[in-house]
Amino acid sequence: MRTYEVLFILSPQVAEEEATTLVSEFKKVAESTGAQLRNEEAWGRRRLAYPIQKFTEGYYHLFVFESDGSLSELDRRMKNVDRVLRHIIVRTDEDHKRAEKLAKRNPKKERVRPAAPMAPAEQQQPEFPIEPEARA
Amino acid sequence: MALQPRRSEGSGGGGRDSRGGPGGQQGGKKKFFYRRKRVCKFCVEKLEYIDYKDVKMLQGFIPERGKILPRRISGTCALHQRKLQNAIKRARTVALLPFATD
Repeated sequence: MRTYEVLFILSPQVAEEEATTLVSEFKKVAESTGAQLRNEEAWGRRRLAYPIQKFTEGYYHLFVFESDGSLSELDRRMKNVDRVLRHIIVRTDEDHKRAEKLAKRNPKKERVRPAAPMAPAEQQQPEFPIEPEARA
Repeated sequence: MALQPRRSEGSGGGGRDSRGGPGGQQGGKKKFFYRRKRVCKFCVEKLEYIDYKDVKMLQGFIPERGKILPRRISGTCALHQRKLQNAIKRARTVALLPFATD
C-alpha cells in the first residue's frame, strides 16, 4: 500500500460551486483507479509565492490517498483541466518509514547529553560543607 | 582547540558540548573567534520527515533572496540538508515558496 499526497491550486476565478464539483470529480477519478481517501484538507484562498498565469492568489486543496497502484490518471486529468494552476503528487509512505527508522536510531545519540548537567552538580557539593562551618 | 568544534559540526549531532564552553573561557582573550557550534536543527528536534507543506518551518531556511540557506551557515547535517532541499523545491513548484525574490 502506498500513500500519496496530492496538493493542487485552483484558479481564484473559480466559483465555489465549481470548485466543489471539481474537487469531488478528482476524488472520483482517484477512487475509480483503486485509491482510498485518507485525509482531505481545504486550505482555502492563499497568496501565491509568485504569480501563476498572472494570478496572485489561488485555492489550495490537499488529498491524502492510499493506493496499490499509481495515480497517473488523476495526474493526467489535473494537467488537462485549466482551472488547476498547479498540482503536485508526492509519494510519502517510503519517506515516513525511513523517518521512523531514523527516529529509532537517534535516541542513542541523545544519551550523551544528560552527562552535561553532571558537572555543575559536582561543583555544588563542596559548597555544603562550607556553609555549616560558617554558621557554626 | 578552536578547530575541534568547527570540524566536529560536520559529523552531525556529535556528542560534544554545544558551545566551545570551557575552551572558550580559557583562551578567551587570545581567541576572539568565539564561534558557537551550530547543530542540525532536525537532528536535535528529531524531525526526520521534512514536510514540504510546512511553510513556516521552511521559511527559516530561506533568506531574503529566496535562496536555500547553505549548510555551512545553518549547520544542518548532510542528510537533512538533502531532505530540506527536496522539500523546498517541492514547495516552490506549488507556489508555497518563491524561486527568487527581489
